[in-house]
Order: sequence, then C-alpha cells, then structure tokens
Amino acid sequence: MLQFSLLEQIALAVFLLSGVSFFLYHLLLRLKIVLKGKSDFTVNDLPKRILRVFNEVILHKKVASGNRKSAGVLHAFVMYGFIFFGLITVNHFGMAFGLPIFNESIRHTYFLFVGAPWAILCSIGILGLAYRRFVTKPEALGKFSSTSALVSVFIVTLMTTYFIDELHILSGAAEKVNWWIHSGVIGGFLFLIPQSKHMHLVLSPFNIFLRPFEVPNHGAIPIDLEASEEELDNLLLDLSRLSKDQALDIFTCVECGRCTDVCPANRGGGILDPKYHFILDLKDPMLESGDVNVVDKINVEAGWECTTCQACTEVCPVGNHVEKADEIRSFQVLAEGDVPQEYQKLLRNLQETGNTEGASSSAILDELPAYTSDKELVLWLGCFAKHAMDPNFINSIRNFVKILDSAGVSYGVLSNEQCSGDPANKLGDKLTYQLLMDQNVEQLNKVKNVTSMCPHCVVNLQKEYKKYHEIKYEVKHHTQVISELLEEGRIDINPGSLEKVTYHDPCNLSRTLDEVSAPRNAIKAAAPEFFELDENGKETLCCGAGGALWWKKDGGEGRTHLLRAEQVIESKTDTVVTGCNFCYGMMNQGIGPLTPADQEPIKVKDVADIVAENLS
Amino acid sequence: MKIAVLTKAIPSYESSIRVDSSGKWIDESVVNYVVNESDSYALEEALQIKENIGIETEVVVVTLGSEANTSKVIKDGLAKGADRGIFIKNDSVTTDPLSIAKLFSEHLKSENFDLVLSGLQSDDMGAGQTGVLIGEMLNMSTATLAIETQAQPDKIKVKRELESGWFQWVSLPLPASISIQSGINEPRYPSLKGIMGAKRKELNTYDGSPENQSQNFVNLYVPKNEKVTEKIEGDTDTIVSKIMDVLKNKLKVI
Repeated sequence: MLQFSLLEQIALAVFLLSGVSFFLYHLLLRLKIVLKGKSDFTVNDLPKRILRVFNEVILHKKVASGNRKSAGVLHAFVMYGFIFFGLITVNHFGMAFGLPIFNESIRHTYFLFVGAPWAILCSIGILGLAYRRFVTKPEALGKFSSTSALVSVFIVTLMTTYFIDELHILSGAAEKVNWWIHSGVIGGFLFLIPQSKHMHLVLSPFNIFLRPFEVPNHGAIPIDLEASEEELDNLLLDLSRLSKDQALDIFTCVECGRCTDVCPANRGGGILDPKYHFILDLKDPMLESGDVNVVDKINVEAGWECTTCQACTEVCPVGNHVEKADEIRSFQVLAEGDVPQEYQKLLRNLQETGNTEGASSSAILDELPAYTSDKELVLWLGCFAKHAMDPNFINSIRNFVKILDSAGVSYGVLSNEQCSGDPANKLGDKLTYQLLMDQNVEQLNKVKNVTSMCPHCVVNLQKEYKKYHEIKYEVKHHTQVISELLEEGRIDINPGSLEKVTYHDPCNLSRTLDEVSAPRNAIKAAAPEFFELDENGKETLCCGAGGALWWKKDGGEGRTHLLRAEQVIESKTDTVVTGCNFCYGMMNQGIGPLTPADQEPIKVKDVADIVAENLS
Repeated sequence: MKIAVLTKAIPSYESSIRVDSSGKWIDESVVNYVVNESDSYALEEALQIKENIGIETEVVVVTLGSEANTSKVIKDGLAKGADRGIFIKNDSVTTDPLSIAKLFSEHLKSENFDLVLSGLQSDDMGAGQTGVLIGEMLNMSTATLAIETQAQPDKIKVKRELESGWFQWVSLPLPASISIQSGINEPRYPSLKGIMGAKRKELNTYDGSPENQSQNFVNLYVPKNEKVTEKIEGDTDTIVSKIMDVLKNKLKVI
C-alpha cells in the first residue's frame, strides 16, 4: 500500500478543501437565487415523486428514449460508473490519510466484480458519447463544448489510472504519480461541475423530484381592478419573476437540445429555440443580477411563436418545465401593452362578444336542446364548434349528439356559454381571461357534469379555473364519455369499414389532460385496422393551432401548421381521427393543399364521427 | 404641444345589423360598438408623437355620440395612454359630416389644439369629411390620408398617400388637422397600468345636440343576401359570348 508524507497529506487536504469550497460556493450561489423565486416547491404525493426519480434517474426512461436510445444507454454507463466509483473514491482519499474503507481483499473483490466492469462500461460510455458529440455532431447539441471535451478526458484518465493502480502496473514513484493524477482529476471535477452544464449531475435528481405534476404549470395571475397603485406595482414586478421551480430548471439544464428537437415551431422553420429562449438565455442574467427577475430577457418574437404544446417539457430528461411563452406573453400584454395586431382583434372580440369570432349568434347553439336541471350533462360547445370555425365540424357535433341519444344520455347546451378564455389565457391577457372565466364559473357551478369536444375548453374548465375559483362541477372530454359508454355497454359498435385508420393525439388531451387511452378505446372499437403514427401519445406533434396560433393570420416563413398534416399523408392512412376541433381544422387545412392531385385526400374525422358512423 | 384625437364608436363588422322601428336607422340595441379602425391608428400616431417630440405634450381623446355607444371608446383611449378625454354627448342620430364637424369645432375651439388627428374615415358612414371640415372651421392647415408623420414643435411633415402607389410629402404649419390612414403604425394594447390608471383621468362631458342636420336618412334597407350561381358551360367561344351577354344585358356593367 502507498505511504503518504505529512506534506503530501497537507497538500491533498488543501486541494480537496479548496475544491469542495469552490463547489459549495457555486452551488449555494445558485440555490440562493432559486429561493428568491415566486411560489414555493410542492412535495405532495411523495410515492409518485420517488417513483418518478426511480424511473427517470435510475432507469433513465427519458434519457434513453426516442431516437436517443443508444446515447441514453451510453449515458447510463457513465452515470452508473460515477455511482459505483463513489466508494472507490472515498477509499482512494482515505488511503492518503491512513484511513482506507476497504481492506485489501474487499478492495480486490470490489475491483473484480464492480470496479473493473463499470470502469470498462463507463469508458465505453464516455467514448461513445464523445464520438457522438465531436464526430457525429448532432445539431441539437449546439456548438463545440470545451467542458464536455474536458469531461471525456477526465473520465478516461480516471479509468485508466484506476486500472493501473488496481493491476499494480507501476511501482514506486511512478505508482505515486499515477495516484496523484487520479486525485487531481477527481478534484478537477469539483471545479468543472458547478460552472457548467455538468451541474445537472448534482441537481437533476432533485429537479425531477420537485417537478410539479401539472403540465403546463404556470401560476395564476389574479387581477383586481380595484387594487391600489402599490398592489398593481407588485403584480407587475411579479410578472417579471420566475418561480423557484423555473429557476432551478435553468441551473439544471444539461443543454442536450431535445426540447428544440421536438419543438413544432422550430421544426416548422420558426426562430423559437426553447433550449436558448426559454432556458439558457436566462441563466447568465440570473447569475449576473443574483435574482430571478429575468422574464424580460425571453425573446419576445420567439415567445409569440410557441404553440404551448408542452412537447419540450414532456421530453426534458432533467425534469424541466421548459415552456415560458406564458411568462413572456403575460409580461408583454399586461405590463408592456405590446400585442401583435391579429391577437388584439381576437382579444377585443372576446371582451366585447364573449367569443373569439366576434359573432352575435350561433346556428348550432340554437339547433341543440337547452340545458335544464333535469338533464344529466351540459354539452359545452366552445367557440370553434359554436361558430363553425371549420364548417365540417358541425357534423361531428351532430355525431356526438347521436351517440348520446343512442345511449339515452340527456344533455343540453348553455345559452350563455362564453369562450372558456383559452386563447386569452394562452396569449397572456389574464384580465380578459378572468372576465370570461368568472362568468363561466358562475353558471357552471350550478351544474354537475359537463362534457366538451374541445380539449382546450376542458383544460380550462377543469384545471385552469381551479387556480382561481372553487370548482363544483366535473368535466370530461367527449372521448372519455364515449369510451365510458362503450365500456358500460350503453352503445354498440359494429365496425363496418376496414380502411386504415390512425389517430392524431391533441396536445391538450395527451400531455395536459394525460388522456391517451380513451380516444384509442373508442377508435379501436370502430376501426380494426388502427395503426399508430410515429409520434404518438404524449410524444405527439402539435397540429400548430395551440397557444392561440390558430388566429395568427400571418404564418410568415413557418410551416408549423403543415408538419403534422405532412406526417399523416406520409403514413398512407385512409382516415386520420383526432379528438380536438382545432386539430380537426388544422388537418383539413393542411391535408387538402398537401395532397398530390392524383390522390384521394385523407379523410379527417373526430372520434365522435368514427364511432357514430359505426353504431349498430 | 396639445393633440386632439377624434375617435368614433362604430358598429363592429361582426354585428348583425337590422333596421329599427322608425325605418330610418339601425337598431343600436343589438349592435356591438367598437373603435373605428383608422381612429385607433390616429391615437397611436398621437401617442408616438408625444413619446418622440421631446416637448411636453398632451393627448386628448375626443368622441361624440351616445353614452352607451361611446363609453368604451373613451375608456380605451385613456387606457392606451391619452391624458384626458372630452365627450360630446349627443343622443340623436347625427350622420351629416358638416353638423358633426360643427359640434366638434364648437367644443374644441377654446382648447387651442396644435394638432387634430382623426381617422381617415369612419367605417360606418365613410364620408371622410370630419377632419377636413374641422381644420377649415378652426383655421388649421389640413392634410388627408397621412401614411407617415414627422412632428416638430412648430410644424408637421406628412407623407400623403396618392393614387396608384404615389405619395407626396407636405409640410404644414401648426395648428393642423390631419386624417390618418390605417396601417400607418402598430396600435398598442392597453396595459394593466393603463387600464387601471384610466379611471383616474379627467373626462369632460359636454351636451352637444346639433340644431339642424343638412342631411337625413329617408329610409334604410339591409342589402338582400341572395345566392344566384349560374354555371356557364360549352366551348371557349360559347362561354365568352355567354359571359359577354351576362355582363352587358344582365348586370349592365359594360
């Protein structure tokens, strides 16, 4: 065993202490900024949180997913290497002070069964990742990263020196030098980690544990028009601040670029790059100001491009809620009064007429029976259906009603239904949102069960309103109602058609409402030839209408609204079914012009259509 | 500098219009009144002049009409940043530009505005006269169809839109009345601070019914909405001669 002089011990102690101090200083600096954030962390539902950490950290479920499965496995090798090397490292330094934790035989056994295999796997992992980053160079990883290069060199050095040590390849002074190189590299990590993206190795387990369950998770912005000037100033100041969770996200980011990879605005040729605009652009301003008041550093134009689809948040391997369109838009609308012209028109319509289209009447509303207290269900139409924003969708409403009739469910519409406020909420106009919400909650709290064909409406009625009001009613998406009626045997289906059918998951239904099975149950009952699109379930690709972008007249260079329709055409399906009126409209708008002249356009249907058409 | 911005409440495009019982005007009770489009550009132009000119400037939003229709218009102007409001209360239906201009001039005269900005025309009546007439009545220099302005403490340069893509720069001494073309700027949205501050701003209300209108509606009709589609078929020569026949004899446009 190596022997160490007092001088060596002092030198080592000074080196390690300075490394640890440096590390802690930077960690605490960031923690201090995080704690300045708005709204506290919640740690409800502990078992679910622990399970999530197990899945996402230990099992690498998000790291090794999609087209990054192999990169994820390589990453797992490195991470497990780090974990198993914990004891080796303690023993390594303990030895210098005459306090090894392993005796020679345990050390040798640990080497044979744990140290050696994981040192090899870890080396394979880091070399594979280095090959990917510096040779394959996927665009998402961004520019050359010197810290990544350093980490690769560090890890390979660690493993090599470890083997040299364990296999006693060197002796005497050379063995000592080898020991010191190993020590130097470990100490080097203490200096390298806290100031780089490698901080994720410390913060991500905590970030994943603390991540709020709600997606998206933007705080309520209640506005009191009678507030004093001071209260108003505080509210406006708050608009520029991030929450604790968002602040921790930014320091945890590992810069992998998956959020940008999946972003529909980015993929459609827009400027929005969530990795930078929503995360990294805010990091330096936070460190410089030592505070979380950085919302105004978010690129405004990029913020308006976001479809708020939450794909970025869903894909993030370190537990970030990436999307910050809500923050920058609220800031622009409420504090700056700077709103793109096409949205001003939309917001005025909402304020003046309670619907997005500025309409004063609705034919389908008049056609359907009015709700009375003896009826089971309120059929909440939403502006899209009410004002025939896609005229074909009227047929889908009639089909849903046909299903309810066939099951003997009584229902009615509310004559005073206002827009749920979704576009106002998503555009950051929380004042207009509240105006609509308050009127809706008042009438809805007098009823028990509500269903809607619009997932945007459902999200607001069920989840968003709760942030401001006590909610006494229950809301279900119509696909959930249909799926239940099927399960209870209240409707019968005789699948008549054998054409190929696929399903496009609406973002609001899959990612926000966590509902991917109900629509599938219903479709599969009606269409045996069902197949999945490549991006499905919670990994769905936004149709392009979310975040109020449906009303964005000037699409610019972007093709966000065509990407999904293109995928559907490429899938060679006969019919595409969706569960959202906006997706339905976008599909129709995209598929028509994109279909080659010699081909039949793919049929676009709502879940209600395919079920009603096959009722026996 | 003192700038007046004339704004008008007009029925929104989406409102369903129907004739009231007198047969001479629309039923206002079912109509949603909104700010006239070009007026909101005029207000934005005034606010930008205020922000850029470097001398103390007051922007006053002025409207005329019934309280029910116009209250939103004034509130919106104040919320966007106008310093105070002048409301000329007039419950009668006044459509004649001369009467309207007289009412405005009467109440604006004592204010000695340096600039009167108005929208190019109102989207309901579309006369485009008010700004010009007021300029004449208040002895102001006048320009219409402004698509760019450069205001200085004693004069204003205006880029006017002419026909077929031509435009013209004119320099006007102050005071001046200028009508603003839509699209000249990007109107702002009222911020929260603006909305809440609007309540504390000064609003002067005057009674202003016109004596005699020189123009009145005799009868008002809603245009008939008919779908008459005719499919013209045949070879090219037949189609051309059929279309010529329709244009000449049926529609009588050539």
